[in-house]
Amino acid sequence: MALRMTDNYENISAQSQNKVLLMFGSVLKALQAEKVLKVADIACELLVPPLELRTGCDLAIALDSYEATFAKEVVEKAGLVITDERLNTAGTAQLSDVVTTHDFEGSDGKNYLMVRAGNMKITVERSSGLIVNTSGGGCPDIPYLNLMLVGKTLTDAPHPQTLGKTLCGLMLERAFDEAQRLCGAQPEGSTCVSASEVSA
Amino acid sequence: MLLLVGTVPVQPGEVFEGPVSFEKGVFKVGQHELPPCQGSAAMALAAYSVTNAMNAPAPYVLFGGDTGGGEGTRAVFKRFESVLASMVERHVAHTAAGGTEPLVITFHYMLPIMSLMKHAIEIIDRLAPQALLVADAGGMYAARAAGLSGRFELLTPDVGEIGFLAEKEATHPAYVAEYLFGSENFDVPTLIDKAYELGTASEVLIVKGSKDYVAAKSAAPHYIVSTIDYPDVPELEAIGGTGDTITGLASGYLSIGQETQDAAFGALAMNRRAGQKIGAQVFTPVLEIIEAFGATMHV
Repeated sequence: MALRMTDNYENISAQSQNKVLLMFGSVLKALQAEKVLKVADIACELLVPPLELRTGCDLAIALDSYEATFAKEVVEKAGLVITDERLNTAGTAQLSDVVTTHDFEGSDGKNYLMVRAGNMKITVERSSGLIVNTSGGGCPDIPYLNLMLVGKTLTDAPHPQTLGKTLCGLMLERAFDEAQRLCGAQPEGSTCVSASEVSA
Repeated sequence: MLLLVGTVPVQPGEVFEGPVSFEKGVFKVGQHELPPCQGSAAMALAAYSVTNAMNAPAPYVLFGGDTGGGEGTRAVFKRFESVLASMVERHVAHTAAGGTEPLVITFHYMLPIMSLMKHAIEIIDRLAPQALLVADAGGMYAARAAGLSGRFELLTPDVGEIGFLAEKEATHPAYVAEYLFGSENFDVPTLIDKAYELGTASEVLIVKGSKDYVAAKSAAPHYIVSTIDYPDVPELEAIGGTGDTITGLASGYLSIGQETQDAAFGALAMNRRAGQKIGAQVFTPVLEIIEAFGATMHV
């Protein structure tokens, strides 16, 4: 389950004090920073920033404090600007992490799987992995992602995170990943695992 | 009269402004043809289906081209004051001519930026304090995050979003830690109560799900005034845009003078009936449901 927020500095754990929190001004830039840090082999984590740092759709990166100097060099070299920095992760939280699934039987005799991550859903035809719909969300990349994904298979479609720029896009990426995991990513011969098999 | 504020996934930063039209499957805002897709487009087309059936003025749209970067969102808010001012002029003239319908403003898909929403509400309170405000999607996220939900007449979260209204420090649905759909402590009536107790719910609240709820602040302490679960068309949940159409229908009904609770219930019922009428499947495009509204309204 998701972590609960710590809302005062007395609650700062030893782990929090050994972390540095970096902000980049947008979810897209935080995701780009995460990518370049991973390429540089620097372990990092995407977190919900503390309340006082939020503008509405925000994401922060936490990493071990001993890596901070090198990490800042890496992201700045990639052209990313650090807009805020905290020497601990007090007040941060994890992103929503509950994923659920629902099965549908279509009038065409085919079976469909809907995967929900947070406020986002993706629905695929089980036998082919064809994405037949995406729904939910409220950020402006979601209608765009719907146009880009529907009609493609889980193997051929672009990952939502490559086109998405918001938290809703990130949630859709998680639903997409889970659909891929349940269905397999092979273009032919893959069959989705049923929800009951997963829970078992 | 109805003003719709949102975004469409084309030409980032461009602004599309004008009345909605929809003929032979072509969706236009003013002279601009736009994709009739999930999101604010579906919302606008659903609202248009109401005004068109009732021979009321078409919804007036202020949309920005936005694929997630926020360019269209910022462009729309930049133009918001001048568009609202001219809407208010027309509404004053309409009222002087005997019209009794309210001015309704709906905020929809957009990058949820708290400061922009705060500024927009300040403008509304100055130019159109009597306007009825509706929000869904990013508009609702921004309103909630900015602490302005209580100023809204109607918010329309789905089951994946009601936890966000009910949770004290969640400023985006992706941040919800406690009341997650699918978790053990998820219960819609309880979350509606919590949202009203926190002051994060609107005057009237729709919660969209397998069972839809309509709740009202005026119905405290029980809040829930109606539920609807028939016709049962579970496929609607998987279809991108079916929540948008509920917001559009409710906005349309409000703009022709219906009471908010009636508008909310009517929108939920209409969406379900249209889904049933066309035998909606998970792969059905939302446009097919929108096209069924017209026929369903005349039954």
